[in-house]
Amino acid sequence: MAKRKAYLGVDTGSISTKGVIIDENRQIIARSYLWTEGNPVAAAKRVVAELGSQIDQAAVEVRGVGTTGSARRLVGAMLGAQVVKNEITAHAVGTTFLHPDVRTILEIGGQDSKIICIEGGIAVDYAMNTLCAAGTGAFLSSQAHRLGVEVEDFGELALQSKHPANIAARCTVFAESDLVHKIQVGYPREDIVAGLCRAVATNYLNNVGKGKKIVGPVVFQGGVSKNAGVVHFFEEALGQPVLVDPDGHLMGAFGAALLAADACDSLSDAPAFDFNVADFEFKTREVVCQKCANHCEVIVVYRDGDIIDSWGNRCDKGAIKPKA
Amino acid sequence: MSDKPNGQVGAPQHAADASEGIANVVAPKADPRDYAAQLPSGNDAGLGADEPVMLHLADFAGRALDALDNVKRRGFDGPIATASTPQLQGKPAKKSKLRLVNRPPRPKRDRHARRKVAFLRYGYYDIAFKFCVEHVLDADFVQLPEPTRRTVELGSANSNDFVCAPFKHILGDYIEALELGADVLVQFTGPCRLGYYGEMQEAILRDMGYEFDMLNFATCAGKPVKEYVAECKRKVNPDMSISAGISGMLTVFKMVECLDAYNDYYLANAGFEVRKGDFARARTEFFETMRAAATRQDVDAAFARGIADMKAIEIDKPASPVRVGLVGEYFTAVDAPSNLHIEDKLLAMRVELARLMNLTNRNLRYNEPNLRASIPEYAAFDDGPTSSLTISAAKKYAQEGFDGIVHMKSSGCTPEIDCMPALQRIGREYGIPMLYLSFDSQTSDTGLDTRLEAFYDMIAMRKAR
Repeated sequence: MAKRKAYLGVDTGSISTKGVIIDENRQIIARSYLWTEGNPVAAAKRVVAELGSQIDQAAVEVRGVGTTGSARRLVGAMLGAQVVKNEITAHAVGTTFLHPDVRTILEIGGQDSKIICIEGGIAVDYAMNTLCAAGTGAFLSSQAHRLGVEVEDFGELALQSKHPANIAARCTVFAESDLVHKIQVGYPREDIVAGLCRAVATNYLNNVGKGKKIVGPVVFQGGVSKNAGVVHFFEEALGQPVLVDPDGHLMGAFGAALLAADACDSLSDAPAFDFNVADFEFKTREVVCQKCANHCEVIVVYRDGDIIDSWGNRCDKGAIKPKA
Repeated sequence: MSDKPNGQVGAPQHAADASEGIANVVAPKADPRDYAAQLPSGNDAGLGADEPVMLHLADFAGRALDALDNVKRRGFDGPIATASTPQLQGKPAKKSKLRLVNRPPRPKRDRHARRKVAFLRYGYYDIAFKFCVEHVLDADFVQLPEPTRRTVELGSANSNDFVCAPFKHILGDYIEALELGADVLVQFTGPCRLGYYGEMQEAILRDMGYEFDMLNFATCAGKPVKEYVAECKRKVNPDMSISAGISGMLTVFKMVECLDAYNDYYLANAGFEVRKGDFARARTEFFETMRAAATRQDVDAAFARGIADMKAIEIDKPASPVRVGLVGEYFTAVDAPSNLHIEDKLLAMRVELARLMNLTNRNLRYNEPNLRASIPEYAAFDDGPTSSLTISAAKKYAQEGFDGIVHMKSSGCTPEIDCMPALQRIGREYGIPMLYLSFDSQTSDTGLDTRLEAFYDMIAMRKAR
């Protein structure tokens, strides 16, 4: 009996790594979400192993792999991905598939935040934070640590507050001084937490969302969307319901899997994906090219000692090619 | 007949010796061999009618003897002693009707100044800067190599962190130029903070211990041209020729127009080359010939050849390619190292590009009131260095049905930040996606790649539908 086709999508972000497997009907059949812990290769291996254990490998075989997120190139080289896509496209594709009528996607991840405007199922405009990561997931988790609260409990705590404190979230450093001040003055903890959540929402709308027309239906995703407090303050600020999909945090991986499925449908002879990537040793080495004064940092990825990919050189002089 | 030796009697009749003929026509009486003029004639004798007859007779006899003497010498071809100044070697001194003794020709002054002049790096305009130094200022040009990461690191290390990225790039350029032996640095002026940069950079470099002259046009901005000339003479070349300088400057303008026109074609077509690298190679070659140009004719010829070479390159351009308009700030939008080679990145995605922001449109043909008249709904007054151009270019691209617009500025560039609300309105009203990019010395390639890739995916998917 021929095995059913399936597609793998992996989204490796700065904080967490997400993975899904979808079947031919584009339904998610396996999902995984865990911390990157500063080691994208290990995280991707763990995600793949976890996903592999969720499916019946005798009946299903993965015929296409897509990667996204900030480590997409490295993880793509490691998994032999057919599609390596940026997270903005992946999120837009994934979300519009699940919510064809969506008009605005708000996304706050570990280090970046973006807004995607959709018209008729097609992204027509997007913005992404530049030069500054104020008000992203990394900011929230560092403040949670300071307050001695688990970041997962942040949302519940925030919703208990009656009078959220005013906290400036323009800049993480200033927000922190503001926060320390409020703590020292003796504000209740839930008010501070709520203030932080509100600051994240307003900061997002004033920076990333500036000049964009936010039309409903609005979908909120990314790790921070799991924070009920931030969702609440978004709804308050926008004056309309904000939809959070239970799989919202997986949308990037889902989009990457969809793109892989589209790309691999045409080529039927793609080899089946081997779940044994964990058996290989992947190593990354940085080579500083000395061919000119620019000193490009060329990143070279090895699998068991063999070069499988390299990038980062500005000109051909610095090219390091895999051995044929 | 032309094999007769020169200097022979009758030589003035030779057509080939026109110059000698002219000389003889101009001063026929000065020729000692003109015998007819020297024949005796009572009327033009120096004696008055009231002189004694004997004196007249004696005078006649003397003249007759002289005439006979001349007749005797008729067949004589050898040199005849004449009373004239010895001619200096080289160009014969022009004979003057008024002077008995011709003034010796003045030796040509060597106007070249042994100063090593360096400009800042600014896209491909170093070619025009070189011409400007060699043919206008008449000094030596310091050609800077391609900038590297070290350039901006040097610049950043010696500037305030909050100053805009162009300042850091330019400061890095200057340090590298001084290391290469430059002794004059050139800074333009600008209607934004750039106007203060020359002074700041001069102070920083002097504090670092460098010795040099700064030709900073901010010191004479808005003043008559003669102030500019005086500044150039004071700082670079006291002997510079005004006439050569003016014609050189006109050639510089022509050269800038040629470079920009070439670049427009390049941006529109280089993304569709069939063999990778064809366009880049042609452009390098064109830049080399342009850099070697010494006259206006050379510039025209280099341009004609460059365009012809580029048009001969095989391209595979779809009927309706993805088109992106580039707008933005004076320095960042134009200078490839400052915008992390965004044009190359977009061309590699097979995009047709257009960029109105260049020296031709911003300086040579800039007419701000006219530009503003095209955008009355977005701008009521001139908002700074490139604002009117940015907004009017964006509107033009939107009206021409471009698929997207990329706005580039250095981080913290106030005039361009002020343009953004107008650009956002254009984006909404014409339904054209816009990508806003801020660059500073820390901006990474990776972040830019992600944004550009996403932007391309978005506009390509939108177009495909």
